[in-house]
Amino acid sequence: MIWSRIWRGFRATLPLALSVAPFGIAYGAIARQGMAPWQASLMSVAVFAGTAQFLAASLLAQGVGPWPILLTGVLINLRLVLLSAALTPHMRRAPRWLQPFLAHLLTDESFAVSMAEFERHPADPLFFIGSGLGIFGPWQVATQIGLAFGAGIPADYGLEYALPASLICLLFLLVRGRRAALVAGLAAGLSLALRPLVSGTWSTTAATLIAATLGVFTKTWPRRS
Amino acid sequence: MATTLLILGLAAGTFLLRFLPLAVLSRVELPPWAKDWLSLVPGAVLAASLAQALLVQNDRLVLSWANPYLLAAVPTFLVAWRTRNVILTMISGMAAYALLSHLLG
Repeated sequence: MIWSRIWRGFRATLPLALSVAPFGIAYGAIARQGMAPWQASLMSVAVFAGTAQFLAASLLAQGVGPWPILLTGVLINLRLVLLSAALTPHMRRAPRWLQPFLAHLLTDESFAVSMAEFERHPADPLFFIGSGLGIFGPWQVATQIGLAFGAGIPADYGLEYALPASLICLLFLLVRGRRAALVAGLAAGLSLALRPLVSGTWSTTAATLIAATLGVFTKTWPRRS
Repeated sequence: MATTLLILGLAAGTFLLRFLPLAVLSRVELPPWAKDWLSLVPGAVLAASLAQALLVQNDRLVLSWANPYLLAAVPTFLVAWRTRNVILTMISGMAAYALLSHLLG
């Protein structure tokens, strides 16, 4: 009974693993440039968040220091707070000891599949566990494929462009709507304008916080006036 | 060693972002402005990181079409827009950059 409920979530999510796999492969290939294969594997198991892993791996390959990388990674993952908060009402039945596991298996994909399921059927933490595993398993396999594959890429064939190219693609996938695009553009401009004032990678952080905060105001202003 | 610590730090930070709402928010709800702010941050980080990657070299702003990073972004944007596929986007971006830096260099 327990297994069949987990299996239902796993099966429902597996098709989405196909869309996640290319990211895992690309991550594994880039990760080889900046860290040992076991560290790249550790990151896939312990961090388990594609965009942040990707950015961390690329910045490591460029020789950026650990603190700016940590901060950028956490900023990108702030999105997870939203998903977790939205999932919370459906997870009340889960025993306390299960909560850390539920949390770690939270991704955009397991969230989307589970929320769709819980609209039609009673919320089931075990379904969510299965759904999370449906992404977690393939993510580890894809990482290993990328690590094996990345060894074959010669270092001087435009590899410096792996980070810009992946950022461009992630932007298209992540930025939805005109206001979000304006905020993103503002952050880009500010990060360049702030460079004389704030050193190196920190201007990215400062620009992000300012642009997102201004973005919140542009939403509330027209409605109140 | 520093890299391992970074990985563990990122893992701990990411876990807290996933776990705290689940543990704390069963009674409280996030106000709308907080949700809005949280949804705007990731795109902003990506765009700011991209601006730095394309336009800053050796700690200097390079706003010129002789900058291969900037030029290669044009075909890369097109491929990303048409395909939304990371692998294809990365391969075409890397190829465009290798070609352009060869021609311009």
